[in-house]
Amino acid sequence: MAAVQPNPNFAKMISAQLRNKATHNNLADILEMFEAETDNYTPLLLTVEVIFTKLLRRGELLEGIVPLKPADNSPEAQYKRWLRECFEAAQTRILECIRRGRMSSRLQALVTACKLMQAEGKHPLEGSSGFYFPSVRLKNIFNVLLDPEISMSAPIARFQEFTEYKDVQQYGLKVLSTIAYRKSPTSIYMQNYLELLDKLLICEIPTETKIKGKERDGEEKEEKLLCGTEDKAPFPYNPGVCRRYANRCWGFACQWPLCQDSRTHRRALLLLVERLMPLLNRPHLATDMLCDSLDAGGPISMLALQGVLELVRRHNIDYPDMYDRLYAMFEPEMFATRYKRRLMHLADIFLSSTHLPESLVAAFAKRLSRLALVASPEDAVGLLQLVANLLLRHPALKRMICYEDTPAIMSNDPYVMEETCARSSRALGSSLWEVWALRRHPAPALAAAAATVLQPATDRAAPLALTAPDLAANFDAELKKRFKTIEMNFVRPQGMTTPSGERVMQYWELMA
Amino acid sequence: MAKVKNKRNSGLADKVHNKKKSEINKKKLNPFEVHINREKLKVLGKKSKHDRGLPGVSRAKAIQKRKETLGTEMKLMHKTNAFIDRRIGEKSAQLSAEERMVARFAAERVKQHNKKNIYNLADDEVLTHRGQTLEQIEKFDDPRSDDEEDEDGRKFGGLGDEFVADGHFGGGMLSKTDAKDGAKSHKDLIEQLIAESKKRKAEKQKEKEQTLDLTEKLDSEWKDLQPVVFKKMKTEESAIEKLLSQAEKKNMDYDKMMRELKFEKRGTPSDGLKSDEKQAKEERARLEQLEKERELRMMGEEEQIAVKSKQTKVKHRSAEDLDDNFELDDEHDFMLAYDKDGKPLVPEKVLKDFSVPNAKPKFDDGISDTSDEEDEGDDDSDDEENQDQSQSQNDDESDDASDKSEDSNKKTKSKDKNKVKLVSNKNDDSSNDDESSDDDSEDIKPEAKNQKPEVKSKAKEKPKENGHKPEEKKTKKTEEDTILFQNSKDDDSSDDDDDGSEEESEEDEDEDGEGNEVDLNNLNDLKESDGESDVEQEPEDVEKIGSFFDVDDGEGDKLKELLTGKTPAQQASALQNLIKSYDPSLSEKNKDKLTKLFAYMLQYINDLFSDLKEESDVIKAFLIFDRLAPYFYDLSQTNKVSSKKYIAELLKEKYGQYKKRQKRVPDMDTLIFFKLISLLYPTSDFRHPITTPSMIFMTEILTTCRFNDAYSISRGLFVTTLLLEYTILSKRLVPSAINFLRGILYLSANVTVLNPIQVVPPFRLHKDSKILNLEEDCSKMDVEGKMAARDFTLTEINNDFKIRCLSTSMGILKEFFDYFNDIEAQVYLFEPHLKLVGRIDLDLYPAKVANRANQIIKYMRAGLEVKTFTPLTREKKRPKALRLYEPDIQEVFTGSKSAKLSREQAESQRLKTKYKKEMKGALREIRRDKSYIGSVKIRQKIHSDNIRKEKVKQIYKDASIQQGELNKLKRIK
Repeated sequence: MAAVQPNPNFAKMISAQLRNKATHNNLADILEMFEAETDNYTPLLLTVEVIFTKLLRRGELLEGIVPLKPADNSPEAQYKRWLRECFEAAQTRILECIRRGRMSSRLQALVTACKLMQAEGKHPLEGSSGFYFPSVRLKNIFNVLLDPEISMSAPIARFQEFTEYKDVQQYGLKVLSTIAYRKSPTSIYMQNYLELLDKLLICEIPTETKIKGKERDGEEKEEKLLCGTEDKAPFPYNPGVCRRYANRCWGFACQWPLCQDSRTHRRALLLLVERLMPLLNRPHLATDMLCDSLDAGGPISMLALQGVLELVRRHNIDYPDMYDRLYAMFEPEMFATRYKRRLMHLADIFLSSTHLPESLVAAFAKRLSRLALVASPEDAVGLLQLVANLLLRHPALKRMICYEDTPAIMSNDPYVMEETCARSSRALGSSLWEVWALRRHPAPALAAAAATVLQPATDRAAPLALTAPDLAANFDAELKKRFKTIEMNFVRPQGMTTPSGERVMQYWELMA
Repeated sequence: MAKVKNKRNSGLADKVHNKKKSEINKKKLNPFEVHINREKLKVLGKKSKHDRGLPGVSRAKAIQKRKETLGTEMKLMHKTNAFIDRRIGEKSAQLSAEERMVARFAAERVKQHNKKNIYNLADDEVLTHRGQTLEQIEKFDDPRSDDEEDEDGRKFGGLGDEFVADGHFGGGMLSKTDAKDGAKSHKDLIEQLIAESKKRKAEKQKEKEQTLDLTEKLDSEWKDLQPVVFKKMKTEESAIEKLLSQAEKKNMDYDKMMRELKFEKRGTPSDGLKSDEKQAKEERARLEQLEKERELRMMGEEEQIAVKSKQTKVKHRSAEDLDDNFELDDEHDFMLAYDKDGKPLVPEKVLKDFSVPNAKPKFDDGISDTSDEEDEGDDDSDDEENQDQSQSQNDDESDDASDKSEDSNKKTKSKDKNKVKLVSNKNDDSSNDDESSDDDSEDIKPEAKNQKPEVKSKAKEKPKENGHKPEEKKTKKTEEDTILFQNSKDDDSSDDDDDGSEEESEEDEDEDGEGNEVDLNNLNDLKESDGESDVEQEPEDVEKIGSFFDVDDGEGDKLKELLTGKTPAQQASALQNLIKSYDPSLSEKNKDKLTKLFAYMLQYINDLFSDLKEESDVIKAFLIFDRLAPYFYDLSQTNKVSSKKYIAELLKEKYGQYKKRQKRVPDMDTLIFFKLISLLYPTSDFRHPITTPSMIFMTEILTTCRFNDAYSISRGLFVTTLLLEYTILSKRLVPSAINFLRGILYLSANVTVLNPIQVVPPFRLHKDSKILNLEEDCSKMDVEGKMAARDFTLTEINNDFKIRCLSTSMGILKEFFDYFNDIEAQVYLFEPHLKLVGRIDLDLYPAKVANRANQIIKYMRAGLEVKTFTPLTREKKRPKALRLYEPDIQEVFTGSKSAKLSREQAESQRLKTKYKKEMKGALREIRRDKSYIGSVKIRQKIHSDNIRKEKVKQIYKDASIQQGELNKLKRIK
């Protein structure tokens, strides 16, 4: 099971322990060694894991409890009892290890705990024929993970590999809903909680309509079970139950002051928007929170926007000045946030309606192109794609790239960038001079994108899907491009000055 | 007699005569004979031949003709008489033409003396030659006969006047002359006369001969002189042209040769020697051409297409063309022709499509990028080849010499190494060459010298006998052998030239410690020595150069050894020598070696610029770079493909390093390569394999990095300056650079939390703000406007740095501003800057800087105020006109359809029509002949009938007379 035998010494102990009951003191020794170690528990953990999985598989921990019968005092039974004590002790030690030591050993501790939980689930301590899930163990693990002091994001991220199991998901949500109730938790606790919940929901819980479809397809075979074995009854996975528990979990979280700390706020919003929205029974209850968040500005409002969009699209919520808020989000600061792609994507969806007033869309086009002037090439390409889509969807905007009437020379741009109301920014009278300027960008991809925006689509071409170009892709792509000839300067430089136009030496006194 | 003769020799003379006569006799038209053909349709410009005719005349003519031909033939029909040739001697083969003539002439003479002609005295025969009378023939056009005419116009047999007067008219009573002279006998007189005339004749003859001689002499002299006169220009031709003309002579074609044999050669035409002006002009034209190409590349693909489409002529379009842009492949086939070197004379693009067997492989990096370097190396561009050619020409002589010297070297080496000094004089020569070429003085840096021995001891290169090295290196090396006696070993060990060691040496090689020890004083020395440019080739260098690529690996180290511890000028000359000694024209492998050298030089520059701690280091590094940069250009020119590959690899590596720590600005060992790239490659291209990625790299640096200390800000400014330089020609819009300047202004502006101003990432609101803000009054400070090398090593931001940052960024800002004068978006780009500048307290800055900044601000404000906005319009699409076709106008309208046909077709067409016409004519003639024959026959018939009737009548008459007589007799009876 444990492929890596960390230490020959431990290997010996393991084999001895497993072979001979007489040398069982080894186990005790190992458990004691937890005390001695401070940093790296990995070998110990692996040893314990191997020993106990083997023992569980052999059923040496199995205790046949016969009702109305006095406890057996035979050495066998005593040994068993002792082993179980050891098992419990080992469990506590392992859980402690999650909190201590170096990161790798912490992660290993979590994995070991889960592995033992799996082993126990497969070979329960009490003999049972049905499906058995050691929820207590899971609860213990969760209790550790929801530490109020230490951020557990790394172990929780590691825990993700177990939440993919359906039984873990269901029981996990159940367990989490039982332990969640807590008043005024610390922000770290909240973060841990939200992260854990996020991870538990990483596997999509199907809604009713989906279930029906799925049942017919008979896709349930694919479901992964952590503690499932062939000879036992199958695990009764119930999405409805899962959703209920998830709702309950979120219900607890809602009572906390989530919006105090910006990190917690962001996390909560991310969880809500990404995972929970489709699961919630009454999603409109989240409206207040989302609206407040939308006003917060910055990345938080960007996240909230997605939730609001969901509400508007699916739940008939009417939100005032929706587009003005979206409009206000397009500020140069957005490039620094990591949600800029999401924002662009959302804006594309928002503006995909063909029933929007032209002046509004024009204002957006103008603002986006204005932003593209200061954006990095990658962002600028995205923005230009967005603008191109706007122009495609709203043929009336064509006048911004090709003015049909006799062009009158204006003394200034009619568009008012500072105007907060998109519709009154008079963008329709303006032209996309910014895009025109971007045709002279040094990055060929961007220049080409700008040129395509200005190229009037003769027929209604399909709007482009917003691609997410990698930052490094541009550079690599340019390097990989093949050229027929390699052009060189035709004037031999005499020293460091470029013959075509030296500027470095003009502004730098480098050689004195 | 005369008649007979005329008949026989009816020749030219008579014909001419007759013609004249006929012209005189040309009859006037009888108006009654003229028949006018009425024209039904009048066609302009048509010449009608048949508007009038003479039917009677022509009919008569035709009948006459028939009478002469057909009629005679008919007469002779069924006749068995034969024509007998009675000419004398015509049939006998023995007689020659001459004899025949003589015999005939004799017969004529005999005839003349027969009875009839005895009394015909006056009728003298007229002598003819070939039918022409001798009178007509004789022209007397001997050119010399002109001279014979007597100038004096003397009469009376050319006797003198005096003599005539005396001799002919003299005597008598009145003349006293006789008395004076005494009596002269008549005999004396006659004798005198004869003598005199003889003398005169002799004189005349002599004179004539003399003139003749002189004329002939002059003629011959002129002939001799002719070629000289015409060749005079040719003597000034250059050697190359002579070679060329020789080559041309070789493949002279038959015609030319024939003509040359036929006509006398009158000197050959030649191209004038190109004057300096002309050369300069050509050079200018070449540069202009290259510049034009560059500008074309500067435009994007779309624009290029647009330009092209404008340029391309409208091809032929068929009437059935549906305007669907379906293209027919009806391009004209090209004629495949070869120039004298055997290269096909076809456009490049055609060459690509058709694989011409003899064609050189076309340089196509897209394909050959992955293939060997050697292949690619061959196909480099033309200028390089030219270079090579010229170089090879220069080296021809030296090669010959080197062969000899090499031989001698081998001998001396093998026999006795101490004797090597024999060749030392040669060595002197070569070293002199070096010095003169480098234009160096005789100064050697002492430190450099001191460091040498250490390096030398490390170096264990063995000079090697390499077949293709120029003489000078060889000889110098041999001298080295005498000096470094111990080092020279057997040459065999290092024979193999392995190319395997191409991998770049490791990045993290430490700079030698020496550099750091150089203090500022030395630095000044360095700079001074720059001016003097003092380098004498050091012997150790020579050795190193000679054996540079001999040993398997470690060229990078060797290069470092060669270059470290020297003044930049020395480094440059060492490098120059190195490159020169491995010139590609000297050996095939040298190209590879130089390619490798390029990589090592890149490595050297990288090492040079890494870990710069002191200002002096920075300056030194830049000084060296300044000197070495041209050689980078030279090396990359020798092998464009591989040098591009090296630089691309380098960029990739640097980019990878940068990606690991995105927030940190890369150090100078990265940034310097951007400068190098701008030196080597055109930065204005729309797309370029090197400059585009490096520009993307730079913009990324400016967008992602954090600028919050002197280190990052100075480097950021450097990158911005580089970007300015990159875009100087193309005027591209680099938002990151403009935004960086905005950031710098933001950092130097006086911003408060209460009064925020919009910033664009990577600069952040309220973070690091005011780090460049000048807080003290520095208006008295004397600060030069330029950034300096010391800024790269600055750790603390001081006032000086702040001021210079501002002034530099303002300068750059203005230049960027000027890029976009024609673009409306200028306002959006630069308005934030103006706002920020408004927050900078310029009073605190030195007056000079403040003034300059104010000027720039004023300039920019003014520029933005007069900005006008024209709405974007598309080029007005012209309404699609109905398709009209060009009228098919022929340059020469002949009216005949055959004009369009090809030559052969036209010819056959002509022949056909002619045949038809002739056929028609012949048929008509036959018809007429027939009718003529018919008419003749009927006439004969009538004639014969008449005769018969006459005869019958006669018979009847006779019979009746007979009857009457009989009756008479009867009655009488």
